[in-house]
Amino acid sequence: MRTVYETLCDPAHMPKPVIIPGAGRFMRSLLAPGLLLVIVLTLVMPDRTEAQLPRERVETDEPVDNVFWAMTNVGISTVRNLSKGNLNSSVLHTFGLVDRGIEHLYGLDDGANTRIRLDYAISDRFSAGVGRMTFNKVVDIGGKYNILRQTTTGSIPVELAVKASMGINTMPNTGYRFSERLSYFTSVMIARKFNSFSLQLTPMIAHFNRTVGDNPDQLFGLGIVTNYELTDRLALSAEYLPVFGDRNANTHDAMALALNIDTGGHIFQIFFTSSQWHNEEFIMANNRDRFWKGDFRFGFNIHRVFGIGR
Amino acid sequence: MTQSGYAEFKSSVPLHSFTGESNNLTGMIDFHENVIDFYLDLNTLRTGIDRRDRDMFRTLDVDEHPFAEYTGELTSSFDHDSDEKQRVTAVGEFTMHGITRDLEVSGYLQKQGDQITLEAEWILNIKDYELEPPSILFVEVDEEMEIRIETELEPRSRDETLGGN
Repeated sequence: MRTVYETLCDPAHMPKPVIIPGAGRFMRSLLAPGLLLVIVLTLVMPDRTEAQLPRERVETDEPVDNVFWAMTNVGISTVRNLSKGNLNSSVLHTFGLVDRGIEHLYGLDDGANTRIRLDYAISDRFSAGVGRMTFNKVVDIGGKYNILRQTTTGSIPVELAVKASMGINTMPNTGYRFSERLSYFTSVMIARKFNSFSLQLTPMIAHFNRTVGDNPDQLFGLGIVTNYELTDRLALSAEYLPVFGDRNANTHDAMALALNIDTGGHIFQIFFTSSQWHNEEFIMANNRDRFWKGDFRFGFNIHRVFGIGR
Repeated sequence: MTQSGYAEFKSSVPLHSFTGESNNLTGMIDFHENVIDFYLDLNTLRTGIDRRDRDMFRTLDVDEHPFAEYTGELTSSFDHDSDEKQRVTAVGEFTMHGITRDLEVSGYLQKQGDQITLEAEWILNIKDYELEPPSILFVEVDEEMEIRIETELEPRSRDETLGGN
């Protein structure tokens, strides 16, 4: 930043001797007093730069911004967390399969699985929240803790976060005991932002206290999430969630593609996804659709952070 | 002299307000030459929401104009022998976004041991600095912002402070 004072005293802006070939005596008689005035003013003008502090930029080593734009991509949690005192609200919707055609308005008539979630940041690294989704009327509580934050100087090259949650199926008249309604989930999120591109790997494990038939009570998966910033306001993201080892009968690895839109206050995610379920454990346990076979559905998420801490 | 002064702005949209803060206010008061000089690296401002910070930096064009700065002089006297909080006034020029405007600021100075504490606040109209108020979902941020600074000034020699300029 160049201040006014610096600009006045910049040698590049100082008056220089002027030579005008062929100028007449009359012109010289006009110019001479002008030059003299400039020289005198230059000599008597106080050099205000001497009074000013040198302007120096602050060198910071801060967390990289916007590794992901929302705390949840489509169905997989991201390393993004809140600043202390902030509240994040999310509303997530997934509809029926697009191939249901115009009679079902490409799945929109088939009802939505809606999830509402609130998270509050207890510190700059730890947030906790509660959510609920339509299917099985699952209510879940959980938290996310950022162990490492990728920094702008590269002193810490990756983001590392852990998430743990517990869900309870609150559907009435199922005959389930309380303990049978419970499920548990934990994941480790490792991510890095490379300029406009972000990649996250998320090994995860889910445990269900009650399963149907021969379905395993534990599921292991590896969530892969990417985000590519097209502009400051638009980003494309994708996620893929393969399940490893024993898995539930007739289930398939889930996949989703999303367009992220930053409106200046909200993050909208408009997406196509194979799974109508929310939460990683239920996506692993229940997705019976194959994205690349045309089994995908429309959905959208809305995320908003309220800066109630300031 | 300070390099870790506190500066904040408070901005509002209908039904909501937010604050941006920095602890990197740098500046000095030279009582001998009667010069006040403060500047803030705008990149150090944080509102608590990183995406909002990014929008703020874009609005302020911090890559091109990284500093907000004020240079002026005291127009009221300050009694160095008193420990009382003293109201003072300064006139000078405030520069932001490459635009310089005259600005008169009132504040308080108070001697505390070797140090002098400074508190000041004023209203800044961002349109005066050719900044367009950003909008949040079509609701425009108020063009007037409350600015507040607070810092403790430590005694330094003139050469040490100005780096031998």
